[in-house]
Amino acid sequence: MTMRLRIRHIAAGVIVASVLVVASARAEDKTIKIGALLPISGPGSYFGAQDKQGIELALEQINKTGVNGRKLEVRYEDSGCSPLPATQAAKRLIEQYKPDVVIGEECSDATLAIMPLMEEANVPLLNAGSSSIKITEPGNPWTFRIMPNEVMQGVDIATNAYKRLNARTAVLLYENTNAGIGNAKVFNETFTKLGGKILADIGFGRDVNDFTSIATRIAGLGAVDVIPTYTLEGQGLKITQALAQAGVTKGGGGNAIQLGTIWLPFGFEQKAGKAALGYIRIVQFDPTDQRPAVRDFIAAFKAKYNQEPTHLHAHAYDQITLIADAIKRGASDPKSIRDALAATKNFSGVTGSAEFDKTNQNVKMDTVHYMETQPDLSWKALKWN
Amino acid sequence: MTVVLQQGINGIVLGSLYVLVALGLTLVYGVLVQINFAHADIVTLGAFSAYFFMHGLGGGYIPSIAVALLVGGILGWLMNAAIFAPLREKGSELLPLIATIGVSVMMENAMLAWFGPIPYAFDSPYSNHVMRLGGTFITLQNALIIAVSAATIALLYAFMKFTFLGKALRAVAQDRETAGLMGINPNQLVMLTFVIASALAGMAGAMLGPVLVLTPFAGTSVIVKAFAIVIIGGFGNVEGTILAGLVVGLIESYTTQYLGPGMIDIVVFVLLLLMLAVRPTGLIAERREENV
Repeated sequence: MTMRLRIRHIAAGVIVASVLVVASARAEDKTIKIGALLPISGPGSYFGAQDKQGIELALEQINKTGVNGRKLEVRYEDSGCSPLPATQAAKRLIEQYKPDVVIGEECSDATLAIMPLMEEANVPLLNAGSSSIKITEPGNPWTFRIMPNEVMQGVDIATNAYKRLNARTAVLLYENTNAGIGNAKVFNETFTKLGGKILADIGFGRDVNDFTSIATRIAGLGAVDVIPTYTLEGQGLKITQALAQAGVTKGGGGNAIQLGTIWLPFGFEQKAGKAALGYIRIVQFDPTDQRPAVRDFIAAFKAKYNQEPTHLHAHAYDQITLIADAIKRGASDPKSIRDALAATKNFSGVTGSAEFDKTNQNVKMDTVHYMETQPDLSWKALKWN
Repeated sequence: MTVVLQQGINGIVLGSLYVLVALGLTLVYGVLVQINFAHADIVTLGAFSAYFFMHGLGGGYIPSIAVALLVGGILGWLMNAAIFAPLREKGSELLPLIATIGVSVMMENAMLAWFGPIPYAFDSPYSNHVMRLGGTFITLQNALIIAVSAATIALLYAFMKFTFLGKALRAVAQDRETAGLMGINPNQLVMLTFVIASALAGMAGAMLGPVLVLTPFAGTSVIVKAFAIVIIGGFGNVEGTILAGLVVGLIESYTTQYLGPGMIDIVVFVLLLLMLAVRPTGLIAERREENV
């Protein structure tokens, strides 16, 4: 082989290799990388387990055909529902995975901790489970929230308690976290402004196990109309049972009605038993909703997992479909995804609609559904919104 | 007045639970001068054993307590035989201590993998039976907790004071080498200590299950208090631990009533610091060698 021929072969090889590298890079470019920061361990890990199911279902459906020629890919990191593990997980995700968009966290304290990291890395963060007002006030250009914040929820619950339930006295029960304190504060302000009276304001740590003493204290306060409760499922169960045992709530023969928020998963009533009778709470997803999107989601979920979906499955599913919606509208990288999310109009997900204001808070209230626990532990949709 | 009485009842129930958990910790410390960080996870596994015995095999709640006791005992035997005893033979006090942390993390994650993160609703048939008297109330489950706790304390006391094995155990706690020279096999008695302590932890799990939020992290949530009780009671002092458990339970109840539950940890741990500063030997001062 002559020297000239050898050079030609080498040059041809280099060209083929370059073409392959470019093609491979383009194929990679066609994948939208989604980082998922979810509590997979610790007391909030039921969020992560259920979110993952909703995400996987959405991915399976979207990736069948792709969206605008792109596939979606998710990498999960355990953010532990707490600031320190969330910060570590977010750094790992940003440095190693280099996501185009991140979804999560569920707990407000964890979300608040990761927001500055996402802003610094210029990666949009789409949140569906944290209620603290600090997440969207005064506004962060890289953080979006689908669910109603604590002010939207708190004002709505307090107003409904006063006007629809004719409640005049309340006891606030909440975990001592940003979300717990914030939600309770909004209820307090709205309820007292309307003319109601807060008989006791009781915050507690996540390490409290036995709520009999708290229930005893509430029982000693006299007539209590409503007890807004802001806590995770585990403690929520014990609070509901303790209040019934102390004869405070309807479930224990008393008159007080427990009010709750989006935090609790479906199936809570079955675990709490008759103690949950009359419990009214907000859920982010109404399984009796007859919109085709909701019926299709429920059918697909049951087919894949052989179980009924909860609002946690639903809001995780909506996070992915909202990102797919942004990709469909031409977004392809972190900045364009952020811009597309901000420009979202009339997105209709299974939890409700999405349209963001200038603080990137979803302003649509049709994601708020009120449910009341019936004597057979089933739900009755209250149609208050 | 009714509220004061009711909070007293609540405090005794809570204190009884803490005593059940802390007794095993104090036994191991008394004999081995070793803190067992895996104790919390044996409590959790005991709770899950009782839960699955009831909900998987259709067993009753009372037999499930015996099952949890047995599971705890077997686990204690296994842990000591496979991990702690070989490490102690290497002559280091630090290695077994670190190993208990390793076992704890391993067990917690194994339980997370097996049982999942979603809280279990572990209701005993006695959880919803509420007895009311003169404005006060107690669930049958809580009454059972007090009864089991009292019976356990009595049996443990009788075992330690009146049986040959109990006396031998105290001898090992006082001076392991001399006890060995007297014909007592210290290794077998250390094993016995681990088995009894772990069996108690398993049983505590079955009693706590219906009260606690049952997740793979359930035991962890009470263990910090249990450690505080062991310190307040005097490291390794059984009588002190019982008294401290009840005191902490009552403090929690009355703090909840008059200061708010957010103050519980502050009050308990201020007490702990005060005890360390003023009375480091614990509530019931004894020479350490007589603790167990």
